[in-house]
Amino acid sequence: MADDPVTHDPTTDNPVTHDRVPALEVREINKYYGGVHALADVSFRAYAGEIVGLVGDNGAGKSTLIKVISGAHEPDAGEIYVDGVRHRWRSPQDAIEAGIETLYQDSGLAPDLTIGSNIFLGREKMRRGLLGRLGFVDQRAMEREALDDLKRVGISVPLSKRTVAELSGGQRQAVAIGRAISWARKVILLDEPTNNIGARQAIEVLDVMRSARAQGLAVIFISHTLPHVLDVTDRIVVMRLGRVVRDAPTTDFTAENLLSTITGLDELRPPSTSPA
Amino acid sequence: MAVLANQQMVLVVVLIALVAFFWSRNHLFISSSEIGNLLTDFSGLALLSVGQMYVIVSGGIDLSVGSTVGVSGILGAFVMQDMLNAHYPQVEVLLVGTVICAAVGAAVGAINALMITKARLAPFVATLVMLSAGAGLSLVFTGGAPVGLDSTAIIFSASGVGPFSYPAIIIIVMVVILGFYLHASRYGRYTFAIGSNSFAARAAGINVQRHLASIYVLSGTLAGLTGMFFYLRLGSGAPTSGQDMELTAIAAVVIGGTSLFGGSGRMSGTVLGAFVLTVVTDGLIFINIQPTWNQVVVGAFIFFAAALQALRLSSGGLARLLRSGPITEEVSGGR
Repeated sequence: MADDPVTHDPTTDNPVTHDRVPALEVREINKYYGGVHALADVSFRAYAGEIVGLVGDNGAGKSTLIKVISGAHEPDAGEIYVDGVRHRWRSPQDAIEAGIETLYQDSGLAPDLTIGSNIFLGREKMRRGLLGRLGFVDQRAMEREALDDLKRVGISVPLSKRTVAELSGGQRQAVAIGRAISWARKVILLDEPTNNIGARQAIEVLDVMRSARAQGLAVIFISHTLPHVLDVTDRIVVMRLGRVVRDAPTTDFTAENLLSTITGLDELRPPSTSPA
Repeated sequence: MAVLANQQMVLVVVLIALVAFFWSRNHLFISSSEIGNLLTDFSGLALLSVGQMYVIVSGGIDLSVGSTVGVSGILGAFVMQDMLNAHYPQVEVLLVGTVICAAVGAAVGAINALMITKARLAPFVATLVMLSAGAGLSLVFTGGAPVGLDSTAIIFSASGVGPFSYPAIIIIVMVVILGFYLHASRYGRYTFAIGSNSFAARAAGINVQRHLASIYVLSGTLAGLTGMFFYLRLGSGAPTSGQDMELTAIAAVVIGGTSLFGGSGRMSGTVLGAFVLTVVTDGLIFINIQPTWNQVVVGAFIFFAAALQALRLSSGGLARLLRSGPITEEVSGGR
């Protein structure tokens, strides 16, 4: 990702036009739950150095889509490309190895483990020498580096030796986001990262997302909080009833027409195309 | 963590009180021979408790271990009897017997693992199946009578260094290793993570089903080795060996402060729990109280441990409430 050109224009804070390979592309994803068509021909792209908002009403299929992209669920049809290479996930591990990190809505942390253990879960630092080969972990190094990793992405938590259960909701969310961003190499999926936290922390989470974008990640931001989406994203993909109904630069949207696109009111009257 | 340590402090106090009580009733309770007995009896429970600890930390339960002790000891005894009759050297016989017992235990564990990870049965149900099947098979294989009479095994089991019998030494070393392994290895870390939030563990790329499968095989193997331990003590494989011990092992884990919901606990607590239960069982016999009372006392211990845990949970909840203070310290800015 270091050799990817930054596509985010620093002066206007707008993304420049891409004629290159997207960091993530999904094509014609379909997913059924029993008789429910949860995802119907969903396609969209996300480029490196770009924040894409994924919005829609409850049941629009956002979380299902995230689970498909992160390898937690298998799609019934459709293709996933990372940097132009087609992938098929058999498990979340496959997606992680391809450089995609996910922050799930229902927190992806193990509450009984320490912050450091959570940050390094699945990627433990091992002891040197024989003990390492016997499977022993270097807990001290992990606790130390966990704090550094979090700091690097703009998050500071009191003590990495605390268990996650001892943290407040906002702190947990910060750790979860920090974990995802510090490991992500290409794409980061954030499912409602500003839910259940205070207004001020939410603004800080948005800042963390901007710093992830500056690092050249493709950030996919799912949220019901439309002001946040309008504030931080470069492009917005609107889903309704399992379909993508609109995919346009954020500058095309206003608070009103975004809401009407989400609810489907825009189909009753013509959408206002010119932004304010 | 501090409160966790407190439960162990409580256990140490209880242990001292128990020893003092039994000693006051009969001073021979603190004698080298009785201490040796205690350590050996403790060894019989320790491996089962350690295996149960791994299972419970992962969020499951293994009810089959008691039956596995019986089945593995019996099948091991059949083989060892044949070898003794064919005049194989004693050492060889015991080594082969150990391997057979471990293998039978591992096989039972593997069946549990298949039922839990492939057929998706709840651990409680799957291992209940094996508890029942194992107990039945023990009787089918033996007709209810012990298999073999191996006096060298008994002698080996009764000799050792100071109060430590040889089997006790081997088992205590294993317990220490398995304890460190749970708390300091990646394998142990995954076990805690799965018990704490299996969704998070899977999302972190851990192969949850494979890990769970290996835990039930581990628990079964330790039960098989416990079967060998009882063969050594009795000099035969008895269908009654290990009977009801799954409950004592679970009790040791719970008394040691481990949550039955998984994800937390300390092995030192489990070891202490197993030791306290051994002292209670042996002490009651020592001061001539009907052994039937034993289970009542164990029940009382589980009750108090559970009460303590409930207290700890609610005080933990309180501490969490108090700590969720100003938001500024929670996420601090992004540049």
